[in-house]
Amino acid sequence: MAERSYKTDALVLSSRPLGEADRLIELLTWERGKLSAVARGARKTKSRLAAGVDLFTYGHYQLHRGRSLDLITGQEVKEHFTAFREDASLYPFGLFLAELAGRLVRSEEPAPETCRLLLEGWRLLCGKDLDLTGRMLLCRAFELKMMSSTGFRPHLENCLLCHAPETLYFSPSQGGLLCRRCAGGDAVRLSAGTAALARRLLQAPLEQVKMLRPLAQQLRELAAIAAAFRRYHFDIGELRSLQLIKLLNPPSR
Amino acid sequence: MSFPEPLQKLIDEFSRFPGIGPKTAQRLSFFLLSRPREEAAALARAILEAKDKLFFCSLCGCLTEKDPCRYCSDPRRDQKLFCVVQEPRDVLRLEQTGHYHGLYHVLHGALSPLDGLGPEELRLPQLLQRLVEKEAEELIVATNPNVEGDATAAYIASLVKPLNIKVTRIAFGLPVGGDLEYADDLTLSRALEGRREM
Ligand SMILES: [Zn+2]
Ligand SMILES: [Zn+2]
Repeated sequence: MAERSYKTDALVLSSRPLGEADRLIELLTWERGKLSAVARGARKTKSRLAAGVDLFTYGHYQLHRGRSLDLITGQEVKEHFTAFREDASLYPFGLFLAELAGRLVRSEEPAPETCRLLLEGWRLLCGKDLDLTGRMLLCRAFELKMMSSTGFRPHLENCLLCHAPETLYFSPSQGGLLCRRCAGGDAVRLSAGTAALARRLLQAPLEQVKMLRPLAQQLRELAAIAAAFRRYHFDIGELRSLQLIKLLNPPSR
Repeated sequence: MSFPEPLQKLIDEFSRFPGIGPKTAQRLSFFLLSRPREEAAALARAILEAKDKLFFCSLCGCLTEKDPCRYCSDPRRDQKLFCVVQEPRDVLRLEQTGHYHGLYHVLHGALSPLDGLGPEELRLPQLLQRLVEKEAEELIVATNPNVEGDATAAYIASLVKPLNIKVTRIAFGLPVGGDLEYADDLTLSRALEGRREM
């Protein structure tokens, strides 16, 4: 019989009311991937668990294995990402990273890369360096890196069939760039500039997004192929957090 | 082990309630069966009556048996002061303190896209319209002090401040995370007193 109690560092992906005064939280952990746990009484104002089980928390948790769900028995907050609660336009960006991580990571599978990315992504979003474009780019970069780390790295170097360097299309189903001769099926036009941008986002560290100055057109193309790729390979339709990003950050005229 | 079907049905119904597990559901069922028939009938009637007669006020969204509700239709209440809360039960909590005499707006949730709750679902356009109609002077935001509640407060502030209406946030003076409904009267009264401009 395995140890009933264990400790882990984790990021809180979601936290919702459960029953009378409890919270059901979803944790992203380095060693065990995604897991759900119950924080008993966490909605009472004097609860000592309350502060550590809110969404957007990085903490150290003590858990007890339950029959169906694990119980949180203690917590220590390492970092709160308070900017997400103070700036409504920023809030859905933090949700987007959490939602995507939650959808792509599986339970009981180590997820050190995703944990590292999510922590870095939340920190960068809460910093002061990123404007709206930077935030959008960060989401795209995070998404590309997440897909690579879960085994679906889009092929962005050259034509994925004949390896010709000149590419004009992107095929969501085949997962990469195509040249004029090889294009077919669901391939959509993708300008060379956008392909280069996607390559850069996939390869460079997340923090470098603040140095990029993409055209609005490139951002739109990138969003469209990301959505198509996500839908085809992960069966994830429109992300709810993305809708809220659009709603709370209307394009300025 | 299996129960007679009518009993199992009763247990299943009780099990749907928040905070009621199968054990408690069984206890409640056996208790009910041990009581006289009139008591069971009274309970059933009370449930149906509450369900049939109560609905949400078309103006503020609180639980009411007439429309507009008693708060919205009471001219003695401060018509220039509004308070936003997440749930209908939060209205009752604030009323119990006896320290609030303005009008309400119940969101029925907080901004939480993953639960399908956006600005429309929270009836924020209606709130803005009422604030303008009443020429409100202050809006107190009493959403829960967790991420969703705080982000909702920040969003409402960004919508309402341009209307030249003062927006304040109740000060819990407590660790983040707890829900408003669990604050005691004294804490809640102090939180109202100590509200800060956003
Ligand atoms: Zn080719
Ligand atoms: Zn009303």
